Amino acid sequence: MHMSDALISPAVGGAFWAVSGGLIAWSIKKSSLDQDGRKTALMGVLGAFVFAAQMINFTIPGTGSSGHLGGGLLLTVLLGPHRAFIALASVLVIQSLFFADGGLLALGCNIFNLAFFPAFLAYPFLYRTIAGNSLSPARLGAASMTAATAGLLMGACFVVLQTTVSGISELPFGTFMLFMLPIHFAIGIVEGLVTWAVVAFVAATEPSLLTMQKKPENKRFLTPAVFILMALVTGGTLAWFASSHPDGLEWSMARVSGREEIEGRHEPVHGMLSSIQEKIAFLPDYGFRSTGDGTSDSSDPVSPVNPGTSVSGIAGSLMVLVLAGAIGLFTGAGRRKTEKTGE
Amino acid sequence: MSEPKHHANRPEHALPAGNRASLGILAIFIIFVVAVPKNNLPAVIAYGAFPLFVITASRISLRLIMNRLLVISPFVLFMAAGNLYFDRQPIFDAWNVSVTGGMISAGVIAAKSFVTISALLVYSHSVPFHRFGNALRAWGVPELFATQLQLVYRYSFMLGDEARSLQKARDLRSFGHKGKDIRTTAQLIGSLLVRSSLRAEKIYMAMSARGFGNSLASHQKEPFTMRDAITVLLTTTGFLTVWIVFVPKP
Repeated sequence: MHMSDALISPAVGGAFWAVSGGLIAWSIKKSSLDQDGRKTALMGVLGAFVFAAQMINFTIPGTGSSGHLGGGLLLTVLLGPHRAFIALASVLVIQSLFFADGGLLALGCNIFNLAFFPAFLAYPFLYRTIAGNSLSPARLGAASMTAATAGLLMGACFVVLQTTVSGISELPFGTFMLFMLPIHFAIGIVEGLVTWAVVAFVAATEPSLLTMQKKPENKRFLTPAVFILMALVTGGTLAWFASSHPDGLEWSMARVSGREEIEGRHEPVHGMLSSIQEKIAFLPDYGFRSTGDGTSDSSDPVSPVNPGTSVSGIAGSLMVLVLAGAIGLFTGAGRRKTEKTGE
Repeated sequence: MSEPKHHANRPEHALPAGNRASLGILAIFIIFVVAVPKNNLPAVIAYGAFPLFVITASRISLRLIMNRLLVISPFVLFMAAGNLYFDRQPIFDAWNVSVTGGMISAGVIAAKSFVTISALLVYSHSVPFHRFGNALRAWGVPELFATQLQLVYRYSFMLGDEARSLQKARDLRSFGHKGKDIRTTAQLIGSLLVRSSLRAEKIYMAMSARGFGNSLASHQKEPFTMRDAITVLLTTTGFLTVWIVFVPKP
């Protein structure tokens, strides 16, 4: 998944250099809080370990081909997000400059796609939530598989976005996405399996390596974060594959009246409300607003991928989450007030 | 995996600029190449003269570079093939062959990849890793990151040798594909991981005994000399001249 310089524009490359540079600086600041030279040496050697482990190939079941460990999630499990991000970034810098694997201008994109997602999203929000501090094989397995697959899929989505925004490739966004996601889903499962097997081996032989990290101080924010992540994935991508057939109500109406939607009565109140709805609905019919010539958006009619659907899904999910959170806060505040009065 | 022979026999003083300037020139060059519009093949070919010049001037083995270049990333090839397929609009005819826009943009992707990778390989063959670390420090990269890079590079060859031995031992005991499955291989990787962490402990103790204080920097920050400034200015002028000549104004 290493991006080459030939596939990105200077603007995209520069922007992701800035983002990844900022993330490295932040991680260094966080890691420097404990001036532990032991961990510096461990970071260096485990970075080198990723290089070495990538040389050991294994047979991928059912395909006859071979693969190797990526190592992003494994390094995060061992070192924690900040130190793992620095270690992964250093591996990518060396791969780019001294083995010509991935470009120099594309380095920012590669660090973001291959290190940010496993270290700062997949590990804290999926792996830690599922595995917790348990060393049970089942929980380690579920955590490794979910986090590795999610991390790779998010990285693959960003590869598509960065290439499309750069404007170098003629591949349509939808086709490119449909090509990248299934492949990286399969790679993610294999990566998850290997990570699980290695973590289980280490848990059985040298468990102290897995318990070097501190227990998260506050788990209160993890559950909402996981729900936000799931909502974004479902609304942003899975919504493309929603059935276009009529729902139960539409189906029943079609059976009775012969039409899926019954026309409203032509009364002034209906007309006024309908006009207000048209004005305030910024994503009518879960897509972008139609242009003057009748075309709705730039999506490919053959491909299921539709940017309008993604934006609608993400916006809808976030609005529901905000609304549900607000209702929860409101009712919680009301109950606290009642308890106080009762006291 | 011992350190490659070409690393041990590098033309260290071949570049006319210091560590900081040579890294800067590489970055400027890549920005110029990447900025070439997607249908301008002559400009990318013209920029290819720069790595070729450095290869010949610094006596780097052309065969080494070519061997690495032949293994172009499958991802780049896929993207180039995508352009070939999706842009089939004929642009001009050459010897009764209709040349499409996709052919040209695919050629530009392959050529840009070829030229930028050549430049990176030329850099890595001309500059030893400790000089690269010093260049990063001179550009203001935090010490922890520069030290991390040097540690990773230093130990990747040693652990690489160990990984190869493990893999060889496993292959000698495997018949067909037996023993090469994920579970067995994961145990090998796990064993390498445990050994690596023990090695890290020993390394830390040895480094502490020698006064290691979270940094491998042994030199003062390299100054940016007048010679460096002139070299950067001359090379940038060269890149700009190629741009003016080969990239037409919109």
